[in-house]
Amino acid sequence: MSAEASAERTPAAGRRYWRGLEELDDSPEFRRYLEREFPEGAATGDSVSRRDFVRLMSASFLLAGFGLTGCRRPVETIVPFSRLPEGYVHGREQYFATAMPVRRGALPLLAKSADGRPVKLEGNGEHPLATKGTDAFAQAALLDLYDPDRSRKYLRNGTPVTEPEALSALDRLGGELTQRQGEGVRILARHSGSPTRQRLRAELERRWPQAKWHEYEPVGFDRPAAAAAAVFGTPLVPRYRWERAERILSLDCDFLGDEENAALNIKQFAGGRSVAQPGDSMNRLYAVEGLMTLTGSNADHRLRVPTGSVRAVAAALLVEALERIVSVQAASPDRIASLRRLAEQAAFDTAWVAEALGDLAAHRGRSLVVAGYRQPLEVHVLALALNQVLENVGKTVELVPDEQRPAGTISELKNELDAGAVDTLVILGGNPGYDAPAGLDWQATQRRAKRIVRLGYHEDETSGDVAWHVPQTHFLESWGDARTPDGTRVSVQPLIQPLFGGLSELEVIARLIQAGKADAHSLVRATFDAEVGGGEEAWKRFVHDGFLAGSASEPVADPLGFRWGQVFGEISSAASQAAPGSGALEAVFYRDAKMDDGRFNNNGWMQELPDPVTKLTWDNAALLSRLTARELGVENGDVVTLEANGRSITGPVLVQPGLADHTVGLAFGYGRSRTGRIGAFDGQTVGFDVNPLRPGEGGFTVAGVTAAKNGERQVLATTQAHWSMEGRAIVREANLEQFEAKPDFAAHMGLESHGGHLMHDEEGNPAPLYPHPYEERPSLESETHQWGMAIDLNRCVGCSACVVACQSENNVPIVGKEQVAMSREMHWLRIDRYYAGGTDARAGLSGLESDEDYQRQAWIDDPQVVSQPMLCQHCESAPCESVCPVNATVHDHEGLNVMVYNRCVGTRYCSNNCAWKVRRFNFFDYNKRPLERLYEGPLAERPADELELTSMVKNPDVSVRMRGVMEKCTFCVQRIETAKIRQKVAARDSGDIEVPDGAIQTACEQACPADAIVFGNLLGSTESRVKRQKANPRNYAVLGFLDTKPRTTYLAKVRNPNRKMPDYHELPLSTMEYSENMGNPFQDQPAGEGGHH
Amino acid sequence: MSDIFPKWTNRLPLQLIVAGSLLGLAVVAGVTYYFTPKFTRVGYQPAQPVPFSHAVHAGQLGLDCRYCHHGVEKSWYSNVPSASVCMNCHNQVLREDPRLAPVRESFESGKPLAWIQVHKLPDYVYFNHAVHVNRGVSCVECHGSIHEMDEVYHAKPLSMAFCLSCHRNPAEKLRPLERVTDLDWTWSEDKAESRRQQRLEGAKLAHNWKVESLVNCSACHR
Repeated sequence: MSAEASAERTPAAGRRYWRGLEELDDSPEFRRYLEREFPEGAATGDSVSRRDFVRLMSASFLLAGFGLTGCRRPVETIVPFSRLPEGYVHGREQYFATAMPVRRGALPLLAKSADGRPVKLEGNGEHPLATKGTDAFAQAALLDLYDPDRSRKYLRNGTPVTEPEALSALDRLGGELTQRQGEGVRILARHSGSPTRQRLRAELERRWPQAKWHEYEPVGFDRPAAAAAAVFGTPLVPRYRWERAERILSLDCDFLGDEENAALNIKQFAGGRSVAQPGDSMNRLYAVEGLMTLTGSNADHRLRVPTGSVRAVAAALLVEALERIVSVQAASPDRIASLRRLAEQAAFDTAWVAEALGDLAAHRGRSLVVAGYRQPLEVHVLALALNQVLENVGKTVELVPDEQRPAGTISELKNELDAGAVDTLVILGGNPGYDAPAGLDWQATQRRAKRIVRLGYHEDETSGDVAWHVPQTHFLESWGDARTPDGTRVSVQPLIQPLFGGLSELEVIARLIQAGKADAHSLVRATFDAEVGGGEEAWKRFVHDGFLAGSASEPVADPLGFRWGQVFGEISSAASQAAPGSGALEAVFYRDAKMDDGRFNNNGWMQELPDPVTKLTWDNAALLSRLTARELGVENGDVVTLEANGRSITGPVLVQPGLADHTVGLAFGYGRSRTGRIGAFDGQTVGFDVNPLRPGEGGFTVAGVTAAKNGERQVLATTQAHWSMEGRAIVREANLEQFEAKPDFAAHMGLESHGGHLMHDEEGNPAPLYPHPYEERPSLESETHQWGMAIDLNRCVGCSACVVACQSENNVPIVGKEQVAMSREMHWLRIDRYYAGGTDARAGLSGLESDEDYQRQAWIDDPQVVSQPMLCQHCESAPCESVCPVNATVHDHEGLNVMVYNRCVGTRYCSNNCAWKVRRFNFFDYNKRPLERLYEGPLAERPADELELTSMVKNPDVSVRMRGVMEKCTFCVQRIETAKIRQKVAARDSGDIEVPDGAIQTACEQACPADAIVFGNLLGSTESRVKRQKANPRNYAVLGFLDTKPRTTYLAKVRNPNRKMPDYHELPLSTMEYSENMGNPFQDQPAGEGGHH
Repeated sequence: MSDIFPKWTNRLPLQLIVAGSLLGLAVVAGVTYYFTPKFTRVGYQPAQPVPFSHAVHAGQLGLDCRYCHHGVEKSWYSNVPSASVCMNCHNQVLREDPRLAPVRESFESGKPLAWIQVHKLPDYVYFNHAVHVNRGVSCVECHGSIHEMDEVYHAKPLSMAFCLSCHRNPAEKLRPLERVTDLDWTWSEDKAESRRQQRLEGAKLAHNWKVESLVNCSACHR
């Protein structure tokens, strides 16, 4: 399809949900694509011809004939401990509390260890923040531990040396530097919330008074603190209490996605979205943003403005607030005028701003305004000022003392390097060679140091020309400590000895400054003893719990004088900025939802995870709005060259609905020039590097970017256009008012509520097409357990932590870009993301083409978004079971639709007959082939080092599947069986075998920070969470008219729009579309109609 | 027309059918017998690095199975004891015995002994010891009369059919919990009476303990 055609074609009537622009366009190619059972290439033999296959097979049969060697079972040995460790029972999993350090904080975790190796990470629910769930990064961090490409050796000038040799050399170097009091030494570190690192830094500065400490983060989250410090005059950091906020306004703050601690934010935010019955309160989210973020996707109202214009919106909000709500003495008319000038720098819907502010003002003390990391300092100051005016400070915004000490920047370091002032540069972690702004030309700059000591997890872009490369340990291999966002001190406890030796950051510092015992345990313990005390018992408690109870930082009681003068000072010093336009686009850089800033670049789980919004895998793209793409004459996959300030980058285009016009969204973390087998998968660098276009430190937007199509095309492997919704009531939604009037609206939607059942029995009652296992064999049915799941679409924000959790728990392989492009991804759980938009009904009446054109574009550019986790529905009358010729998929006695890998012969009939398309087929032996030759046959053996490492990440409780078998979600049958066995072991000679509610959490449920997924027993003698959820009036089954009786059901989504807003819609857009075909589910039904449910 | 085929060819089809079906039968019988664990596994008796005798320890001395295999009630895995467990007694008994030299050496050096695995299930079978021994299934049902073996051998086929024979009707094998590691125990001296009682009492136990007949794939395969 061409861009022209897509922009000018009116969408088919009554079609307002689409999964991709191809679908909206409804081109014949897309039709054909949809109608295939498996997408292109799925059934072909790929590069191997049939003849090659036969030749190979006959050869292997011949070989198999010699000697029947395969018949003898190999002798295996049992190797018990020579001395049994106390309390260790082989085969029983152990859990250890630990934490994953992130930039300023940490995520408290509970790590599962099987046979002495960590195999799964979960949230530590006992932590005061009750962070049961995690984010996708924490789930994927496990795979990094077993990364075959991680740095394994100490290198001196690129030559490997043994560990003792290296350590003694480091000691000597440390002695020398200490003697010189650190003269000419510069340290470049990352952000960290570790109290021990803080202590060591202070120690370093004491011992090495001449040395200087610099910190660099390509994506830092320190502006809220900087703003608070500026406004209050003391080092403070704002802490948001999302759970107290009834009205939230985000100024380009993707707090559900790429801000730090998203998992925690999601938990608190989702808590305010859950409605069980009419009258329950629900928060409301306003988002102002340029990119289409997860937060914007979940907003009740979204104002689409270029990222650089968010500042103007913030200023307008403050003008409105100061004029309408509260008069501040410091706000003199000329100051307000300067604020207004700032607000007038960009054009946006002022009514939207006024009404949003009105709503916030009506919830003073219960509202919240937040600004995101992409926004400059003045926007953070404005957000703080708005919170001050709205009386939120001390309520939804708490101010806590900032523990971080200021450090030098990387630009300052560059100046010193250029001046030749640096003798020894110590780079602790990070990868400035890749992620430093292009203006610094870091790889060349760092060479100006006489000697570089570099601690790194990989040998990467920064490793060139270093005197010493020290392999860094993973956080699961080394002791550490950190603070969670609430200030609680957490322990980072290792679960395994360093796989390849190496040192942690703490150990390198301690060794260099000669601060006595330099092992991480002693260092962390020393900090704990000095700052907390309590001796051995307190320490043991701390390590056991994973956190120090009661150590959360207390909010500063009185917001000690809000300095309005500073606010206006910041604003007046803000440089004016022109709004982007055609020919001068605005590039917006963002932290990737998968690669972060590039640190997860060699992580296969993250590369293959579909981006929560774009659904793009194995790539980044230049995201453009529909209009911008049309102006440039480009379409998805066209490669463009983006140029600004004399520097350019080249990458493929992806049109993103909801993106601000004349904006180019660019994700960090791709296009690494020196990375591992994943980051350079199949010999090709994944994605393109956007850093060359990045201005300087801390800048996230570049104005005046030109884009030119360069004629090339690139395949983008998205999962977005698969499995169309076709206008049915897959996701059912209502506005809050409608829910209150008709809480069971979901039951009035879908074909089934209109008598549209697929089949009927002799008496005319709806009946499933497929046999019911328990009606056929009543003796099969268990009377103790019948499993079921409910997914609350109102809580789900689409963050995708569950997808990675499932991958980790169930040994789901990665398949690579080529296979994803053929829809062969293996994820058992996917998140379907639907856009809803379309023509405005009034515009349809107007008949004025230009108006209609405008409205249509406005609809398309401002879509409503829903996310729906989709996994095996565990139908009772399962369509897949009937068609399997070998009984490889059958029902068990507890309602699970189980998959028997050993029986499966790979006909794929089941997948063909599955209406939800949740079955996955192993087209290749993904677990046995080397990563760079994933698609080859049995002759490509996986190298031993790779196999050993990648086998270690596997969950020993789940079979690893081979080529040629079907697989799918099992409801985590291994967890079910483990819980049942535990219960039976405890029951012994009693009949108490019913598993208590909550004893089984599926991997997705456990990882979900929003608590959207609930699994449990539908029978049971006691109340269970899943029974409660299923009794919710919003409960419905997807494709209910098929009457397959799915065990997984969904709770319909409720939106909470503000009637006064200019972008208010009477119905959610998807429900509007539904109404056009099926009638409005909220209008009064005839009396008889209500009786059928 | 002259005969193309000689006369004896008239009987050929019948002969072929008979010979073919006989051959087929032989193949089926052969495979059923020779290609199943009943033939390939039962009787497997490798020489262990230490001539440890279960007959002496569990039989004559009457040590409880769980003294050494202490993980059996807690884990899916029934552990082989560490050298330190052997040394609990053997630092007093048979201190200098040459047969125990490898054990002493392992205890002192910390280098583990490598025992040869006798009972092994495929990786896709998730057998769990704990749930069996805690719910009245005795060791003897799968391992045979271990307490009479000088060198452990594979006594039962441990094939899927073997597992299923019990899973179909667990009452046949249940016994009171305190008798699980009592490998000689029977309901009665008299074999016929014992069988009768097993049926009767076993059914009672199964009912009272809610022991299910688990024949679904998910019971053992994940």
